[in-house]
Amino acid sequence: MTPTHDLKDALGLVAETGRPVPDPGDDLARAQGAARARTRRRFRVGLAGLAVVSVLGVGSATLLDGTDQRTTQVSPGGVQLVAERFDAAPYSFDLTPRGWSVQGQRPQTVTIAPDDGSTSSHPDDFVGKLVIMFDANPPDGREVEHDGRTFWVSDSGGGYTTMATRTRGDEPAGVVRIQYPRDAGWDEDSMLAFLASVHVGDTAQLGMG
Amino acid sequence: MRTADRTTEFVAFTRDHRRDLMRTATLLCAGDDAMAEDLVQTTLTRLYLSWARVRRADSPLAYARRSLTHVFIDETRRAHRRRETTSADPAGELVTEPVVPGADPDVRAVVLAALTSLGPRQRAVVVLRHWHDLDVAETARVLGCSPGTVKSQNARALAHLRAVLGAADHLLLEVSP
Repeated sequence: MTPTHDLKDALGLVAETGRPVPDPGDDLARAQGAARARTRRRFRVGLAGLAVVSVLGVGSATLLDGTDQRTTQVSPGGVQLVAERFDAAPYSFDLTPRGWSVQGQRPQTVTIAPDDGSTSSHPDDFVGKLVIMFDANPPDGREVEHDGRTFWVSDSGGGYTTMATRTRGDEPAGVVRIQYPRDAGWDEDSMLAFLASVHVGDTAQLGMG
Repeated sequence: MRTADRTTEFVAFTRDHRRDLMRTATLLCAGDDAMAEDLVQTTLTRLYLSWARVRRADSPLAYARRSLTHVFIDETRRAHRRRETTSADPAGELVTEPVVPGADPDVRAVVLAALTSLGPRQRAVVVLRHWHDLDVAETARVLGCSPGTVKSQNARALAHLRAVLGAADHLLLEVSP
């Protein structure tokens, strides 16, 4: 046996199992079956005319997407916002991002993750996700007017953008923010529309920001 | 995007990269072939369902590896207690199985045992840093933690691996921190 002095060499000894690589057709059949199941699920949702809202506790997801909703906006990156209201108490949204689901909801924050499994299932891990936050810190960044309201856009670093706006007059006073990854198919216009659709309920609590 | 295009691209991707994903999964699972196969199947299915994202990625393979790591972390969160039992001093336990100097130890088995004795996230750090050669920042991004956490996890994991593998006469690891 050849002595191993390098960790990469040692890992290579473990990594290579010598097992034959299965036919890609097996993986394709499995994936297509999952896609069909998802389509059937969406179809059922569409027939019912409802968004499926299931809250199963921490770590569970709420399926937001359906197929028969009117698409209101498609970002260049491909995220579709549909005119479908959903709740993530104490917050509610007039628009639903197709293919994204509520992963965690608290009085201070809501975490929304893509359905493709590309991110952690832990709601406090924000990498690759949308995070809606409510706090009392003053908004900062570039000012943008949208739908009669002022929004502030700033670079959060690490490939993330944060957008903020003051709550409406009939909502608890504060600033609602959204942080989103720029490489996940969102653009500024679609995110402006999404943030503008957020309603802050009475039981929302100001976070530390 | 047409279904036929997605199918063609998925099959080509799987043919080209399944072995790579399986190697990574085998390391993450510390040689548990069945779990590694499950992870790869789950990952490939998720990739197919979000193929537009895979296409948009600068490196589809890097995207797939990242997805695989997330699937692994998710799985270990659910099944960690069931699948793995961690001893208080795994290095000590291994050393009690004497490795006779000059003998011909089964290096693979020793390395597997060393990997198994790491926690899942430490193992993921080792795989990402020393198998895929990701830097600290990129490893932190994949794992959703701070660079400091990656550094400390990496340091602890390497110290542990050195202790365990160093007990085997042939395995004096040379790794950069």
